[in-house]
Amino acid sequence: MADLLSTAVSALQTYRRGLDTTSHNIANVGTTGYSRQRIETVTREAMPYGNGWVGTGVDVSTVRRVYDEFVTMQARSSTTSYEEQAAYASLAERINNLYASSTTGLSATLQKFSNALQSVANAPSSSSARQVMLSEANTLAAQMNSYATTLNGIASELNQRVTSGVNEVNSLATAIADLNDKIVVAQNRTGQPPNDLLDQRDVLLDELSAKVAVTTLRQDDGSINVFIGTGQPLVLGRQASKLVIGPDEFDASRLQVSMQTTSGAVDVTKSLTGGEIGGLLQFRDGMLEGARNSLGQLAVGIASLVNEQQAQGMDLHGQMGKALFAVGGVETLRSANNTGTGSLSVTRADATKLTTSNYRLELAAGTWSLRNADTGAAVPMTGSGTAADPFVADGLEIVVPAGAVDGDEFQIRPTQNAAIGMKVLFTDPSSLAAAVPVIASTASANTGSGRLGELSVVDATNPALRTTASIVFSSPTSYSIDGGPAQTYVPGQPIVANGWSLMLEGTPAAGDTFGVKDNSTGVGDNRNFLTLADRLGKPYLDDGKTSLSGAIGRVVADVGVQTRQAQVSRDALAAVQQDAIAAKDSVSGVNLDEEAANLIRYQQAYQAAAQVVQVANETFNTLLGAIAR
Amino acid sequence: MTARISTAGQHYRSLNALLNAQSQLARTQQQIASGKRVLTPADDPIGATRIQDLARQLSASDQYLANNDVARSRLSLEEQALADVSTAITRIRELLVQGSTDTVDYESRQMIRLEIEGRTQEILDIANRKDAQGEYLFSGLATLTQPFARVAGVVTYFGDQSQRMQQVGETQRVADGDSGAEVFGRIDEGNGTFVTGAAAANTGSGSVSVGSLVDRAAWTGQSYTVQFTSATDWQVVDSAVPTPNVVSTGTYKSGDAILFGGVSVAISGAPAAGDSFTVRPSGATDLFSSLDRLVSTFATRTDTPAAKGQWRTAVDGSLEQLDQAFDRILEMRSSVGVRLNMLDVAQSAQEDAALNFETLISDVRDLDYAEAVTRLNVQYTGLQAAQKAIANVGQLSLFDYL
Repeated sequence: MADLLSTAVSALQTYRRGLDTTSHNIANVGTTGYSRQRIETVTREAMPYGNGWVGTGVDVSTVRRVYDEFVTMQARSSTTSYEEQAAYASLAERINNLYASSTTGLSATLQKFSNALQSVANAPSSSSARQVMLSEANTLAAQMNSYATTLNGIASELNQRVTSGVNEVNSLATAIADLNDKIVVAQNRTGQPPNDLLDQRDVLLDELSAKVAVTTLRQDDGSINVFIGTGQPLVLGRQASKLVIGPDEFDASRLQVSMQTTSGAVDVTKSLTGGEIGGLLQFRDGMLEGARNSLGQLAVGIASLVNEQQAQGMDLHGQMGKALFAVGGVETLRSANNTGTGSLSVTRADATKLTTSNYRLELAAGTWSLRNADTGAAVPMTGSGTAADPFVADGLEIVVPAGAVDGDEFQIRPTQNAAIGMKVLFTDPSSLAAAVPVIASTASANTGSGRLGELSVVDATNPALRTTASIVFSSPTSYSIDGGPAQTYVPGQPIVANGWSLMLEGTPAAGDTFGVKDNSTGVGDNRNFLTLADRLGKPYLDDGKTSLSGAIGRVVADVGVQTRQAQVSRDALAAVQQDAIAAKDSVSGVNLDEEAANLIRYQQAYQAAAQVVQVANETFNTLLGAIAR
Repeated sequence: MTARISTAGQHYRSLNALLNAQSQLARTQQQIASGKRVLTPADDPIGATRIQDLARQLSASDQYLANNDVARSRLSLEEQALADVSTAITRIRELLVQGSTDTVDYESRQMIRLEIEGRTQEILDIANRKDAQGEYLFSGLATLTQPFARVAGVVTYFGDQSQRMQQVGETQRVADGDSGAEVFGRIDEGNGTFVTGAAAANTGSGSVSVGSLVDRAAWTGQSYTVQFTSATDWQVVDSAVPTPNVVSTGTYKSGDAILFGGVSVAISGAPAAGDSFTVRPSGATDLFSSLDRLVSTFATRTDTPAAKGQWRTAVDGSLEQLDQAFDRILEMRSSVGVRLNMLDVAQSAQEDAALNFETLISDVRDLDYAEAVTRLNVQYTGLQAAQKAIANVGQLSLFDYL
């Protein structure tokens, strides 16, 4: 028999559940990741009568989480992309700010050095001008150091962030595995989805995908499997794997991430993409590596150009000039897996041929081969790798260890350490070699029209460089030096001897004499620094294609372009992420007005059901009253 | 159906709009405060590179201007020194002319000689002048070596023959001085082609003029001797060895030009038989030895006809030599003038360039204030609206009516 009272009570219970759920929704309006819940109602089974089926009330079939897997996944993947770019951009901006100033930047400092150089050229015997130039040299070196230190600081900060990111991934993985466990248990016990636990797990997955890109696979028992990289399982059911941070094969200061599996640790560094960790690693291998190497290349370029010219000059003491700058050497790193012995020796042979790349040198089947560490492209080498005949490639001279065995690998970083080690080598301003060590003269009795042109040093190491030499013309086209064999004079071609090269203008006559001698009295000589100032503005790096200031410009432009790209894509992805989250919110988020409406709806239904109970009661009383009368 | 909006989502959306408006406003404020449109390379990578490059060129321009000043100051000092030398030479020439007339007696000539000596010393002092940095003007690159000093009575040059260049433009260099060897030395002897002289053994009073070249094509550059076979007959022989060739003969008349080998010389006075006069190609001499020779000429007595002839030849030679030196100084002065002029041109070129660089930098880097202030106002209004929206929308709730 259909029972009015029990039907009413079923309604009371159902709408009470509705009010509870609405209240839960309202209570969690501010809870991150909370999905609104709805009661699903079904009619109770009707009772058959001869005149038809009579309904028996209502039941709550389930409390449903309003949730759309697709929009949730979209929000998650947009978070992964956004966090990757945000991490990249935040570090790129640091480098960008380093290169920001046009008045105190590298370009300005190099120009100040060049200006100070010209001030010495203005008055080579003035010690104050020389002092200023030395201090500009120190400023230049200090600025190189400070840039390199900042870049190194970013590298070590990056290491810390990767480490803490990996720790977070590990604790999130553990928490997800725990929740998997709880969810499976709860679902088994009730057969109903444990909505709040599912929400909590989704929040953890959101947090995880902000750190690194993940793929998830839902299981029938309610648990979820999580994979990272190229499919390495991070969470399988109630089991979480562990990511570990270890030193790179070549460089202990460089971190690599590996996953502990039953078959040992697997290096997943290269396959970790997306999220904060992905962005950090991408930044480390891309922009940061590039910025450090190009700064180093610049330091090597400045030092070697200035030192080359110093070596050709003569200082105020009458000595041949010595090197002004020192820079950090080439870094050679052996693989931790090498079984051979001995160390690799690499030196910079030609600063103009250096690149901003790192290299990988390996011995396979008895043959050494060199590859570009960034692109993997083979780099041709000449020579045989011995001390007498080293391998030569990209401006480097490589002497390989005799004790190496097949499979040994080395990493070569030609420029990375250069800027941090840049320093000025002397403090005596008189050691600046503004002068050329030789000077030419014309005999006063000369009758021809030959006049002295430029005299320059071509080989500063020639021991006879500064000995007095006399060039005597026996005819306008023939001369001998210090009574030596007759040589043919070609107008427009320099006379080269003893490491110097002398140009003549006009036509010398027979019997004309020109002299070249030591210039130790030439304290007012600025010729060497004029040449240096000139060379500082001329193409030098990249095999004589890029000037130093051009290289600075290129670094600044590169940094600017990369930072801008990162900022633009970060901003674009932020919009995408906001949209995706809004889409998810529009499905799952709590709307208070809606809940208020529901509150009213359920309350009214509840009140109506209560009225039905009242009617049932009165109906029953009516019946009882009729009998009692 | 319209999309549902969750209460939290609505809040975040408004909040994001607010934060965006704030950060844009902050950026505009920063631009206005600094006056710069490009704050970091990322703001405009191409522009930032260009700014750095322009700033570098501007700085280089400033240095070229400083170099220009240094060169100018040294060249001005040289110009002054050369002017002083000209004045001294002019005075010596006056004294020479005054002292070489026959009416001046030996004692008066000694007074003149003393002044010439004084003037010579003055020129020597000028040649040893220094610039403001204490560097000698005329010692080439050996700028701390005193260029001229008397060694055993002879003025010797200790500098070198080089010039110091100053970079006054990217490709332009100007010499900031001239070596003493160039200014005071290597002055042609005689008239620049040949030198005449009277043989020391001459007994007559004949003297020879400095002569001139009348036919360059005929001048072979060898030495000749005019020999007097008698008091009235001369012959010219060349320097062929062992037997000189007679190239010309004639009858002597005082003051007549004698022509041979492209050369025209005049002999005056009364040469004696056996006297000879020489013509040889010019070598080089320097101003100080010319002056010293003049002083010693003036110190010589002219009591005998022979001495008088020698003396006249020497005085004529000295006069020619002084004119050569004077020409050299004039030549140097005009060279210095040309260089000063080049410096003026280079200076105005660099000043224009610097101004141009500044304008270009400003174009790329500096902010368009009108645009920025307008933008600031728009953003300010936007921010206000976003704030109002949050405050107002937050007040709307169905719960208010329950």
